[in-house]
Amino acid sequence: MASRRRMLLKVIILGDSGVGKTSLMNQYVNRKFSNQYKATIGADFLTKEVQFEDRLFTLQIWDTAGQERFQSLGVAFYRGADCCVLVYDVNVAKSFENLNNWREEFLIQASPSDPENFPFVVLGNKVDVDGGNSRVVSEKKAKAWCASKGNIPYFETSAKEGFNVEAAFQCIAKNALKNEPEEEMYLPDTIDVADGGGRQQRSTGCEC
Amino acid sequence: MMSDGGIEDEEKWLAEGIAGLQHNAFYMHRALDSNNLRDALKYSAQMLSELRTSRLSPHKYYELYMRAFDELRKLEMFFKEETKRGCSVIDLYELVQHAGNILPRLYLLCTVGSVYIRSKEAPAKDVLKDLVEMCRGIQHPVRGLFLRSYLSQVSRDKLPDIGSEYEGDADTVMDAVEFVLQNFTEMNKLWVRMQHQGPVREKEKREKERSELRDLVGKNLHVLSQIEGVDLDLYRDTVLPRVLEQVVNCKDEIAQYYLMDCIIQVFPDEYHLQTLETLLGACPQLQPIVDIKTVLSQLMDRLSNYAASSAEVLPEFLQVEAFAKLSNAIGKVIEAQVDMPAFGSIGLYVSLLTFTLRVHPDRLDYVDQVLGACVKKLSGKAKLEDSKGTKQIVALLSAPLEKYNDIGIALKLSNYPRVMDHLDSATNKVMAVVIIQSIMKNNTCISTADKVEALFELIKGLIKDLDGAPADELDEEDFKEEQNSVARLIHMLHNDDPEEMLKIICIVRKHILSGGPKRLAFTVPPLIFSALKLVRRLQGQDGDLDGEEMSATPKKIFQLLHQTIEALLSVPAPELALRLYLQCAEAANDCDIEPVAYEFFTQAFILYEEEVADSKAQVTAIHLIIGTLQRMNVFGVENRDTLTHKATGYSAKLLKKPDQCRAVYACSHLFWVDDQDGIKDGERVLLCLKRALRIANAAQQMANVTRGSNGPVTLFVEILNKYLYFFEKGNAQVTTAAIQGLVELITTEMQSDAKTQDPSADAFFSSTLRYIQFQKQKGGAMGEKYEPIKV
Ligand SMILES: Nc1nc2c(ncn2[C@@H]2O[C@H](COP(=O)(O)OP(=O)(O)O)[C@@H](O)[C@H]2O)c(=O)[nH]1
Ligand SMILES: [Mg+2]
Repeated sequence: MASRRRMLLKVIILGDSGVGKTSLMNQYVNRKFSNQYKATIGADFLTKEVQFEDRLFTLQIWDTAGQERFQSLGVAFYRGADCCVLVYDVNVAKSFENLNNWREEFLIQASPSDPENFPFVVLGNKVDVDGGNSRVVSEKKAKAWCASKGNIPYFETSAKEGFNVEAAFQCIAKNALKNEPEEEMYLPDTIDVADGGGRQQRSTGCEC
Repeated sequence: MMSDGGIEDEEKWLAEGIAGLQHNAFYMHRALDSNNLRDALKYSAQMLSELRTSRLSPHKYYELYMRAFDELRKLEMFFKEETKRGCSVIDLYELVQHAGNILPRLYLLCTVGSVYIRSKEAPAKDVLKDLVEMCRGIQHPVRGLFLRSYLSQVSRDKLPDIGSEYEGDADTVMDAVEFVLQNFTEMNKLWVRMQHQGPVREKEKREKERSELRDLVGKNLHVLSQIEGVDLDLYRDTVLPRVLEQVVNCKDEIAQYYLMDCIIQVFPDEYHLQTLETLLGACPQLQPIVDIKTVLSQLMDRLSNYAASSAEVLPEFLQVEAFAKLSNAIGKVIEAQVDMPAFGSIGLYVSLLTFTLRVHPDRLDYVDQVLGACVKKLSGKAKLEDSKGTKQIVALLSAPLEKYNDIGIALKLSNYPRVMDHLDSATNKVMAVVIIQSIMKNNTCISTADKVEALFELIKGLIKDLDGAPADELDEEDFKEEQNSVARLIHMLHNDDPEEMLKIICIVRKHILSGGPKRLAFTVPPLIFSALKLVRRLQGQDGDLDGEEMSATPKKIFQLLHQTIEALLSVPAPELALRLYLQCAEAANDCDIEPVAYEFFTQAFILYEEEVADSKAQVTAIHLIIGTLQRMNVFGVENRDTLTHKATGYSAKLLKKPDQCRAVYACSHLFWVDDQDGIKDGERVLLCLKRALRIANAAQQMANVTRGSNGPVTLFVEILNKYLYFFEKGNAQVTTAAIQGLVELITTEMQSDAKTQDPSADAFFSSTLRYIQFQKQKGGAMGEKYEPIKV
């Protein structure tokens, strides 16, 4: 059977606040862009259907708050991610330097079974700004970092102009698909066909 | 509420919850794979029952929720497939309502609801309205909040927004907004209610839990901000008033603080500017303990960044009179919150100032107004001692410097020094150094006496001991660093007009003389050199040429210099004073004022006699005196004789023979100045050289006695070089015979004891001989002159 899970690919977008995570997602999913800055609170996702090798998948793209004060519940949603997208702003050196933290934080919190080979994709966003004149992180430098972390695919994007966004997400989807899902093989203690439940009595909630 | 229990228990409960969830999920998957709707509903409901727990903290509950959430995505897909297989979504919507427990029932309902909206069999707004109403069934805060955030999540891409595929009739955006606002309001109520449930002693724990849950509530505001149809009008007329109404009315300080922050961060700058009055108007209505200063600071920081982003947006700020509104709001908040700590109110002013500097850089009156408000707040209080507060003041005072890169601007701000007065002495100094650094960095020239006066008033913390400053706490290194920076500053004060420059010098003098002996050694020299520079500019003008009203005359400046150097005697710093006197003497020489030059020399000699006691210092001083005196041409015969006599006398009285010898042969230059009309007294030159030779001899003998070895042959070689110099210059008293004799003397000395030969003396002598050889071979007049000397 085609596992239901394999039709759903979970992608997490991380990076400093203001680098364009929300904009990239909106550009990819809704083909919309706004110049206004609106902070993201907590985490939520948008979905998008993608066709791949004649099969249809649902990309579940999680956008996150880059600021800690808007991430009060923690990062339980990292669990089960198939690909992690690290975004920085090519015009802000700090956002590039922080990629390492974001990557490590993700590996610790999501604890994928094979961290060495977990698929990441790096996006250097806002390449359009000032015709590239205010850029401070070179493509070469970014690629070198990606190479040193196990050949992470790298894309230069502009959420504003839609440049390379589609291509980047194609690659993200492809890599997410390659990721071997760590299906927690759950086997009930006793396969009780008659009633798999009988446990809900343990619950101590009220009557609601 | 969560019952008592440690972290371990909680882990255990979570593990149990996960196990129960997985167990039922396993059977749910089997049902899904076999298209068994009945079982799918049964097991998914049982799975969701795990979310009924009350034992987990929000963090842990979120973990459990996320697992259920992932499972529900599969169920949702299954529902979608079911509808494709012919099952009516309306029937499904009915069917899930048979689940026994309300919480699982509502999760299932939201899940089917999502499919329902997607099917478009009913308008999105109706389904959403139904769902958001149904969710009222859960009044337990944690469970209710998570359920509603589930609803928010699954409906996120199905709002009847304009341009969305779920867009409805004319009021469609309003429907979307109403739905989110309602969910927001309900969630906030649940969240606030938590505060009042459970025993008082668990308040802290409860607040921690509430804090963990806050993003679930705030998320709704983010959703609102993402709705395409929420334009400025809708925001101003509906969204903001409704949100603020909820914020104000909930009367809960945690909610109010957090939600104000959210509003500021999630909605765009343009909206804030156009609704400033409404937003700021809510501030005084918040609970008194809400940290409004942070809220306002965040707003101003945000607007400042916006203003900095592009010049095009600045007219917007003017149009809405943003400065006046913010300034007014801050005043009200500070007035209302009497207990606000100093760093809080100053922090507000820092933000307002940053805002002003970015938005209205041309409005110095605004800048001064902000500083003035700060002074008003600080006055009546003792000096600020708390470190957070002083840090803020430093930030406040540094901001204009960084913005304008011109201390001249700060000096124009009448309230600037008044704010500085509120700093403790240590911070005052830090700030003074910041000011000087800014001047140095920007190479700012301070060019009027008024500005200098104002500047020294600003940095007075460095200039003198302020009242009550603990002098003993001073770190020596820091002190030096500070005073050196004052010294550097003095060089930055300049005006091309001598009159104004003299005024500047007098002002600086007045200030630094009040600094006490410790500082004078650092501050007097730069002042002296600054004044000497002025003298050099006036050089050549006769002192009284321009009559009475002219005060910037060399004579007057020399008088001032004299009195200033005198101050160094209190330090005491005789060697420094001596050097400065000599500098002045030389300048007076260049101005052709003999009595003044003579007076400075006299002062230098007095210091030498009375104050310079250390023998090494004496050697240095006497060479300085000789060097300076040699360059003087202003003196008449009598004065010159007196001074050279003294110089040679002191030279011969130095403690060590070699020092005596060197000083005495140096004196020979006092009688032979290689200028066109310089003095040329060959006889006295020779006297000096002979005297030097005698001393060298004596030194030699002393060395023989004490060490039984050769003495300093080098001295002879040095004297030989002097002979050669004067010989070449045409001093007839220096003969080839005398040179020949000296060469032989040295040769003998060197051979007398080969063992103790000094290699450097040897080399020195050899190269001197090579030089003679060279001159001989050169031919011409010089070669002829050297001819008789045999080497
Ligand atoms: N010029 C330009 N601006 C961008 C681009 N991507 C995002 N922005 C702007 O950067 C700001 C922050 O973007 P956002 O997506 O909210 O960043 P996030 O905090 O990472 O989600 C917004 O004002 C966007 O309009 C881009 O590719 N080019
Ligand atoms: Mg964002």
